[in-house]
Amino acid sequence: MSEITPYLPKVDRRTTLAWLGGAVSVGLVGGATSLPGKADAAPNPAVPPPTAGGYGTDPNLVHPAAAPWPRIMTPAQLQTTALICDFILPASADAPAATALGVPDFLDEWISAPYREQVSDRPVILGGLQWVEDEAQRRFGADLFHAAAADRAALLMGLTSRPTDPAMAAPYQFFRKFRSLTIGAYYTTKPGFKDIGYIGNVALSHYPGPSDAVKVALDSALKKLGI
Amino acid sequence: MKEPYDVIIVGSGAGGGMSAYTLTKAGLKVLMLEAGRHYDPLTETPMFNVPAEAPLRGTSTTDKPFGFYDATIDGGWQVPNEPYTIAEGSDPFMWWRPRMLGGRTNHWGRISLRFGPLDFKPQSRDGLGQDWPITYDELAPWYDKVERLIGVTGRAQGLLNTPDSPEGCLLPPPEPRAFEYFVSKGYESLGIPVAAMHGAILTKPLNGRAACFYATACGRGCSIRANFQSTTVLLPPAMDTGNLEIRANALVYQVDLDRTGKAKGVTFVDRVTGEHHSVTARVVVLAAGACESARILLNSKSAAFPDGLCNTHGMVGRYLMDSVGASFSAQFPALEGLPPTNDDGMGLGHIYVPWWGYEKQARKALPFPRGYHIEMGGGRGMPSMGLGGQFSRSDTLSVGDALRDEARRMYGSYIGFACRGEMIPNDDCYCDLDPEVKDKWGIPVLRFHWKWSEHETNQAAHAIQTFLAVTDKLGGKPVPGYQTDGRKAISRGGEIIHEVGTVRMGHSETDSVVDAYGQSWAVKNLFVTDGAVLVSSPDKNPTLSILALAWRSSDHLATLAKRGEL
Repeated sequence: MSEITPYLPKVDRRTTLAWLGGAVSVGLVGGATSLPGKADAAPNPAVPPPTAGGYGTDPNLVHPAAAPWPRIMTPAQLQTTALICDFILPASADAPAATALGVPDFLDEWISAPYREQVSDRPVILGGLQWVEDEAQRRFGADLFHAAAADRAALLMGLTSRPTDPAMAAPYQFFRKFRSLTIGAYYTTKPGFKDIGYIGNVALSHYPGPSDAVKVALDSALKKLGI
Repeated sequence: MKEPYDVIIVGSGAGGGMSAYTLTKAGLKVLMLEAGRHYDPLTETPMFNVPAEAPLRGTSTTDKPFGFYDATIDGGWQVPNEPYTIAEGSDPFMWWRPRMLGGRTNHWGRISLRFGPLDFKPQSRDGLGQDWPITYDELAPWYDKVERLIGVTGRAQGLLNTPDSPEGCLLPPPEPRAFEYFVSKGYESLGIPVAAMHGAILTKPLNGRAACFYATACGRGCSIRANFQSTTVLLPPAMDTGNLEIRANALVYQVDLDRTGKAKGVTFVDRVTGEHHSVTARVVVLAAGACESARILLNSKSAAFPDGLCNTHGMVGRYLMDSVGASFSAQFPALEGLPPTNDDGMGLGHIYVPWWGYEKQARKALPFPRGYHIEMGGGRGMPSMGLGGQFSRSDTLSVGDALRDEARRMYGSYIGFACRGEMIPNDDCYCDLDPEVKDKWGIPVLRFHWKWSEHETNQAAHAIQTFLAVTDKLGGKPVPGYQTDGRKAISRGGEIIHEVGTVRMGHSETDSVVDAYGQSWAVKNLFVTDGAVLVSSPDKNPTLSILALAWRSSDHLATLAKRGEL
């Protein structure tokens, strides 16, 4: 990474409105890194009840509204998120960078959501972002954005292998989760479909099945397996 | 239309929809009461929508437990204001309910397998469970009619207890996907036959409906009506007769009796206004879903039936069954880096593995008496948030171009395996009324009691061993976390959403609640036409059989009504 520019959120007007609506509660929560779990008493403990503050049990599926919950990342957290997203999936010769697809905004939407899985991811992600910035300050005397590109890459590359040092276990788990969410967010977009080779979601007059080339490749693989 | 109606039908899913289709065409004036809201798949189905358009990329949440785009409204494992409970000491039980016209037919898996001759005589086969009061041959013509009406893929394969349909009933199955071609060879090398899927999806136009265009997951419903939903296939022609009136948001909780002990109608609460209403009819048909139909009977108490309607012998809510489920997935190096293929296809597998162990079981060579079939998923499906986990399995996490290469190579190389197996009804599995808990409107709710027996847990363990064997044969690597202990591998009760058997049919009122036509032994003008009447729950998914039974029962009902015998 040589020249980098600050990350500008990729949002439409509806999202911006939801965001502005949320600004107040962000102030109130004070950048909360965790939320208490829902206290609704479910008569059946095996399954959780619907969640207050979500999109409800009957949302418009054809024209989905933007997620209604306020987003909780601070601009600084969003900037750090953007840098890590593009460390994971920078632009390639054929495909855009994660930030070009708004992946940081999606991660903000994700960790801000009121549902159980996202609520449990929230402290992992926000805690990890804090760790990364603290580490950048400690090692480089600068935040991640202003650190030298090589320093930034070295810091983040240090999170890509399972550590032997127990102190690094939590940062590694943060990166693992962050990367998994980034991959999901990236490849669920149309440019992501193209990059990974998903060619469906088009109307066909008949289902052709695998091509001859694919069958030849499979037959050859099966032969090697002794079948 | 005026009261009394000829027939009130409670519920609009497979059983209720088919009853309405049959009865309105027979000229009867029908009021259908649906607990959920109106729902129109033609305008409400998210065709072609991609994850990026949905909150959280469409990921499952407690509001939409099968994902944002799933055709389930106001429901899932919990329905707001309508709780259920689990008895103390019981194993878990889960109850999936939507609140929408067409019920679960809007999102179901659409696997449409006929029960076989052995399935109707389980007790005669091995002494377990109860024989049905009908044979396969008696139901076969109704399966034929259902297949011709709704459209089901498949082909004759000549396999034991896996009936072939007569010529002209089935639609041609689509070609197997690349991974299905591959995995078929693995099964065949183990001596396990693979069959074309029987799916309720049109591969050719049928009865004015368009053929599938092989895009958009069927679980979202289908705006071009290429798959079977009550709302696209059964209710429109019923409405066209002019004999059907549908009232939505009508949560029925009681069957009302007249002084002679006959049903005179039902009472419901309007979910929106909270008002209670009673409506009258000459005949009442319950098709609210197996457990909800049982709940209505149990809540219909009178001097003649102090423990609930038709429950004199304590059988309402008994013999509750679900399918056995166990799942497993594996990654296959042989599938890595294939040229891109369009694997969307039908919204379900193009192949499945019918149960192949009948002879072994007849010789008592297996430690479980009944069979399972195998369903598989895989290929290059539309990417979802789950993709992240697939590329996070090694200790070293790739980034940049290495990650892009890994994603392209590994995408579509996983196969998920699941069994669906027969459960034998047992005394530990039933539902009754909770003595304390009531819903928002003060109606007592169901309390579930559940415990799998070794018949089921041994079967689940066997399924996992089968998955391991075929994975090994094909050079695959199991995804860690699977269980080989059947007690841990088995699904939770209700989780497969095949709950049936709470108002079973039988030979007499001492062994059952209704007769072979779903007609109540105790109240002659009361019928049940949903999965509650099933006597056994073979591995074959129940919806096709519910449709066939509901058609047969409704046809009989119409005949009796015309003769003035109700």
